[in-house]
Parts: sequence; structure tokens; C-alpha cells
Amino acid sequence: MDLFAQVLVNGILLGGLYAVMALGLALVWGVLNIVNLAHGAFIMLGAYVSWYLYTGAHIDPFLGLPISAFVLFVLGYALQRGLLNLVVRAPMFNTLLITFGLEVVLTYLAQIAFSADFRTINPPYAGNSWQLGPVTVPVVRFAAFVVAIVLTIGMWIFLLRTRLGRAIRATAQNLVAARLYGVEPRHLYAMTFGLGLALAGAAGGLYGTVSQINPYIGGTLTAKSFAISIIGGLDNPLGVIVGGLFLGVVESLTKLYIGPTYGDVASFGILLLVLIVRPSGLLGRTA
Amino acid sequence: MTPLRLALALAVVAVLAALPWFGSDLIIQFGINTLLLAVLAQGWNIIGGYTGYASFGNSVFYGLGSYGVAIAMVQWHLPFGVGLVFGVLLAVLFACTLGAAVLRLKGHYFAIATLALGQVMTAIVSNIPLAGQNIGLVLPPLNNDRLFYELSLGLLVLATLTIFWLTRSRFGFGLIAIRENEEGAAVMGVNTTLYKVLAFALSGLFSALAGGIHAYWITFLDPESAFDISLNVKMIIMAVFGGPGTILGPIVGAFSLSAISEFLSSEVTNLAGLFFGIVIVGAIVLMPRGLADIVRNVPKSGWRYFRQNIRAHRL
Repeated sequence: MDLFAQVLVNGILLGGLYAVMALGLALVWGVLNIVNLAHGAFIMLGAYVSWYLYTGAHIDPFLGLPISAFVLFVLGYALQRGLLNLVVRAPMFNTLLITFGLEVVLTYLAQIAFSADFRTINPPYAGNSWQLGPVTVPVVRFAAFVVAIVLTIGMWIFLLRTRLGRAIRATAQNLVAARLYGVEPRHLYAMTFGLGLALAGAAGGLYGTVSQINPYIGGTLTAKSFAISIIGGLDNPLGVIVGGLFLGVVESLTKLYIGPTYGDVASFGILLLVLIVRPSGLLGRTA
Repeated sequence: MTPLRLALALAVVAVLAALPWFGSDLIIQFGINTLLLAVLAQGWNIIGGYTGYASFGNSVFYGLGSYGVAIAMVQWHLPFGVGLVFGVLLAVLFACTLGAAVLRLKGHYFAIATLALGQVMTAIVSNIPLAGQNIGLVLPPLNNDRLFYELSLGLLVLATLTIFWLTRSRFGFGLIAIRENEEGAAVMGVNTTLYKVLAFALSGLFSALAGGIHAYWITFLDPESAFDISLNVKMIIMAVFGGPGTILGPIVGAFSLSAISEFLSSEVTNLAGLFFGIVIVGAIVLMPRGLADIVRNVPKSGWRYFRQNIRAHRL
């Protein structure tokens, strides 16, 4: 029973991180109708930014998060403005392929620039943990969880309340009408993609504190983000939290009860099941 | 098809078939790889190019074909031919069961679901003792590169003839109708589910055969390399670069990209992978309908062709 509780807590803590990972993908998908297959690669870049900030400039990984988010935001804005805006009205398959091409380019550039070695961000408090009854709560994972939840809820409030957030939601609903109300779509698309990548950057920084990073983590992270977006639906960042927690818990329990190599089978199996049974997402209206 | 074109096609096949008798070992090996990639691109062309379903799961068929041969030869001591048939059966079975479920999805959903299939298969196969778990299987070696070359060439000819048949058969027209407008096709009396599953199975058949030949040639396979997603990326890039939904486009794409990538990787390692990524990004922006469309339009409109492509899709 103690083991079960521990695994459950681990799963929940992991799930928070998963939610931030998926949030950027869901935002870009929902607004621009681009499924960004390079999303995981951008998370990987964010993780490396954090890693360099920590090992090079000794900036605490949690304080470094805004920096890696900002770096990725700039990259995202430039990419959308210079490249993706050129194909955004093309058939879905083309946008899918172009982001896939980006993922390949980023992975290889990362391999050349950062080498294929595994890296970890190990701040001095990395080994600390709290004992809550039978359950151990690692400080870093808990902090990552808290930041993730704050970011996700912050995103929700941002979309609901701010002028830019409203413009983004309006564009997602009806591009023509939004344009008539004075939204400049090229800028807005670039801002949205930039925001999506900023979330990926922050997620990458958090990922680096709880797990090892190397240039090849992108593909799996994209697939997981996609699974979470599908489970949670694209309407609402809070759905993504539920999706993230769900996936985190299921993965952890699968690893415990069925076997450590079946973690990915569980997450992708769920993805397939949800897609086949309920393509609009477990919680979502439509995608 | 005019007699001239037929003669030209036969001449090209004859030259390719004669190549192993005057080319070096290196050329033959490069030839086998390229021919098998061209088969994969043609296989993908059936489901992705003609039916319009962007499959990221064709590497699963390839893996099943490889494992069919490996399991039959290593575990059951059966001949290579039986292994190929076994691999094809696995692939077709897969296409008709899971494929049928996944083919109900459209657009992004289909693409990602097939992407997930590959990941699941890797994990499942690495837990099956019969398939050698995550260590893999070692096949009995056969040092006869000429045979493998001719087999690959024969398979490519077969795949291309199949696609040629598609372009003038009722079945092929049905697939194109599904690509252009699935609801419309259904209204016109096309059994869309059956057609899609058949196209997926046909596409899987060629991928599985290519996988089987490759496994026996390389004599080793493990789950990571058998279900390698980057192979799927390559077949898509080659088909798209050459011209998806055309008879010869994928072959031209496979031959030209393989040659360039081989050249690059002999100059600078790492660059070949990067090159594929850049090609795909550039191709989608400048020539989304592939080389085949360029050949048709650039002589007429010159450089304006590329600008028109950008103008058609930008925001």
C-alpha cells in the first residue's frame, strides 16, 4: 500500500510537468491548426538552455526558467514570422511535414552543438526530500510540479483576461472576424507560436531538473504532449492538467505493476484508444 | 503508354539489372539500400500519395516483414521465401486489424496515431521472447549481394507496376476519390473503409517485403532498428520530394536524395541527417507537389513557379 501511495505521488508530480509540456502544443494546435511535431525538440532546446545557464553561469534552474522561456519565445516568433506563416494555409499534411523537418534539423543541430552525452541539471538541493508519513516527496519534483501548475493556470487566466489572450481566442474561433476587429494575423500567429514555444522552453527547464536530457528526447516528448492534448481536449488549459496528471499516474502505475519497459506502451496505448473511441478528446468538445 | 516510353522503361530496368556485373561492391550495396528505400517510398505512395492518408506507421510494416523473415529462419529454420510470406501475412493482418481502426481517423489524428503505433510495436516486440526481446536476432549469413540487388530491383519493378495499375483501375480511382473528397467518394458508391484498408494493406505488403529482404541481407535486427521511425521519415520525404501521387516521383525522389545523402555522409558525417531535414522544410515551402510538378511547370513559368507556391499558402 505504501508503495502504491508513493507511485501515485510520483505519477502526480510527473503529471504536472507533462501538463506544461502539452500546453504549448495544445495552444499552437488549437489556434493555428498546426500540430507541431517539433514541439518535443523545442522542449529539448529549452532544457539545454537551462543546462547551460546552470553549468555556465550558475543560475539556479528555477530562476533560469524565464530566460529559457524567453529565448524560445524569440525563436518561435521568428520561425512563425519567417517560415511557418508561409505554409499556414497549405493542407494539413504540409504543415505536419514541415514541423517534422524542423524536428529533424533541430535534433541534428543539437547533436552537433551539445554532443550526444546525457546531461542532468543537479542543483545542490537535488537530493533533498520531505517525508510525509510513508511517502517521500523529492523537493525538486515538487517544485517542478508547483511551477507547472502555476504556469498552466496562469496561461488560462492570460487567455481569459488579457487583450492578447482574447485576440488569440478570437482568432482560434474565426480568423476572418478577428481580422475585421483589427487583429493583425501575421503578428498574432507569431505571438501564439512564440508563446507555445515559451511554454516548451519552461517545460524543458523543468524536465532537465527531474530527468536526463540528450538531443533525442524530442520525439517521445512530442508524442506524449500529443496524447495529453488529446485526452484533455484543446479548449481549456485545465483539461491539459487533467490529461497530464492522468498520463503521469497511469505511466507510473504501469511501470510498477506490469514492467518498466511498458511505460510508453501504456501512454501510446491510451492515445490510440482515446483516438479510436473518442476522437474529440475525453474532456474536449471538438478539436 | 507509348511504345517509346515502354522501350525507355525497359532499357532503364535492363541497365539497372546489369549494374551488379560491372559495378563495385560499394555500388551494389548502395544500390540495394537505394532500391529498398525506393520500394518503401512507393509503398508509402499508395496510402499517402494516392489515398491521402499520411501514414507514419509504414515502418511498422517494415519491422513486421523483417521479423517475419528473422523468426521463420532463426527460430523455425524455414527457408527465406516462407519467411517473406510470413512477414507479409503479419503486415496484412496488422493492416486489417489495427489499421482498420486507425483509418477511421483523419488528418492529424491519423498521422499521430500511426506514429504511436510504431512506438508501441517497438516496446511490445522487445518483450517477446520469440523475437529475441530487446537483444534481437541474428540470421544465417548469405554472401550474395548480387542476389539481394536483383531481388530489390524486382520488388521495385513490381511495386511500380502495381502503382501503374492503380492509375488506371477502378480501385485506384476509388482511392484518388477518397483523397480528394472522402464523403463525396462514399456518396458515389465507393466502399471507403474497404478501399482504405486494402490500400493500407497493399502499402504494408511492399514495406514488409522490403523489410524482409533487408533483414536477410544485413543478417541482424533488433526492435530499435526494425521499427525505426526515421525510416518512415525517409520514405515520406522521398515520396514528397519526388512527387506524391505520381508513378515515378517516389523513385526519382529516392534515387536523387539517396545519392546526395550518400555523398554528404562521405564528406561530413552528421550532415546527411541535417540535409534531410532541410530538404523537407525547403520542399514544403517551395515545391509542395514535388519534382514531378516542377518538371511540368517550371519550363512554362520559370522562377515564378516557386513564388506562386509561396503565395498560394502564406498567410
